Amino acid sequence: MFSLDLLLNAIVAGILIGGFYAAVSLGISVSFGLLDIVNIAHPAFVILGSYTAYAMNRFFGFDPLLTGLLFTPVFYALGVVVYRLYYLGFERKGEESLRGLVFFFGVLFIVEVALLLAYGVDYRMIEARYVGQSFHIGVVGIAFRLLLPCLVGLMVTVALHLFLSKTFYGRAIKAVSQDSQALRLMGVDPVKIKRIAFALSIATASLAGALLILIGPVEPSIGREYIGRVFAIVVLGGMGSISGTLAASVILGVVESLTATFSGPSWAPAVSFGILLVVLAVRPAGLFGR
Amino acid sequence: MNRLVVSDIHAGYGAVRVLHGVSVEANQGETVVLLGTNGNGKSTLIKCIMGLIQPSSGQIFLEVDGRRIDLVGRSTEDIVNLGVTLVPEGRRLFPKLTVEENLLLGAYRPEARREIDRNLSACFETFPILQQRKRQLAGSMSGGEQQMLAVARALMSEPKILLVDEPSVGLAPILVSRVIATIKELKERHNLTVLMAEQNFNQATKIADRGYIIVHGKIEFEGRTTRELVENELVKKFYLGV
Repeated sequence: MFSLDLLLNAIVAGILIGGFYAAVSLGISVSFGLLDIVNIAHPAFVILGSYTAYAMNRFFGFDPLLTGLLFTPVFYALGVVVYRLYYLGFERKGEESLRGLVFFFGVLFIVEVALLLAYGVDYRMIEARYVGQSFHIGVVGIAFRLLLPCLVGLMVTVALHLFLSKTFYGRAIKAVSQDSQALRLMGVDPVKIKRIAFALSIATASLAGALLILIGPVEPSIGREYIGRVFAIVVLGGMGSISGTLAASVILGVVESLTATFSGPSWAPAVSFGILLVVLAVRPAGLFGR
Repeated sequence: MNRLVVSDIHAGYGAVRVLHGVSVEANQGETVVLLGTNGNGKSTLIKCIMGLIQPSSGQIFLEVDGRRIDLVGRSTEDIVNLGVTLVPEGRRLFPKLTVEENLLLGAYRPEARREIDRNLSACFETFPILQQRKRQLAGSMSGGEQQMLAVARALMSEPKILLVDEPSVGLAPILVSRVIATIKELKERHNLTVLMAEQNFNQATKIADRGYIIVHGKIEFEGRTTRELVENELVKKFYLGV
């Protein structure tokens, strides 16, 4: 039985979840699309962000969003260290393509296993006053645990977009993978630029992780569920395009939500990847790709 | 007063030696051309000046208001920050950025950021086509327009010394004359010091104050005036085939 209420609710939930997907995907869009760094460990950093939010909530009663924000400098520093290792070990020697992939696979496992050892395999969640609350606009119910991640995701997206398009660092980040030697001729150190951009991409994982654990319980290997979806978003939006990533996140969120509501959740990934295939056939650079 | 001096430079790539003791200089307000056909070391010399290749021996230095600044051993970024800018061979634009983004990247160095508005309007005044196309991707423009953008982008860095490597490569003859004429015009307007490597003899000598002819990694002839260059025997041998 088709119901308009169900449809509206599914669309709104999809849009809300889309804003959250954007927060998770931005980091990958930057590292893959703008830096040519195959950081497949990004979802693991997001999970690390979730557990940071969990630990701070459990032991100190911190709000997860506050933790996410407070820890962005820590994650930035972590990003600096990871990029340094990657640069010294691979990029400087021109061996980044395949061995870099293996490196980030390694990072993914190390983070996962470390979390597993520290917290075990059980699902963890956080406590906050607003987690269970919701309000209604007409027939549409809006849960705070979805609304807040969406709003924060949007804010991160807008901030990153402004940074990339309005600042000297931002423009250099967009140029660095196109011709790093030409960038040096503009007086820019490409290694420094990549370090800043990569560290920023990891910093977004702190917030994205906090959002993830707001939405639902988290266990150490849950990142794998997100890898495929997040890559689909980044490719669909056009690698490296921030507005494209946001658009693709919302599209995917709505499509998944509609599919889950009307034909069952197990169909959702099939439909998302179906859309990805069609878009790639028609527009190989993605929706907003240059 | 700005002056660029290259003195007795030896350089190459691994075991292949390309430059054997090359000395050139460009004084304040001069347009100096480095003439030579392909494979004689013009680009290698330019790369040495920009710090993209380290010479095995010799000196390269700037004189800025009587102060001597050595360039050998400095990074390319440092050299650019000192006010030496290159319009590279093959233009080397960022094809997936817009015309405006390319220009703004040219003004990255701190001294250029202060003058960004003035320089941007000066560029748009000289190249109205760039203003019309400022939102277009650089890679989608024609070769001539791209060369204009490469020159404009270099000017955005507020250079004291402008190096130009083979501006004529890949351009139709009519565009070559236009680009060369623009370089002359800009040089006069901004009181630049220009060192240009070029193999198109006729075009280059149109705007040169003086120049050098480089053959197999050595300066074979120094023309103190354009006239000396034009009447030189080597030129006849290498360029005119007589």
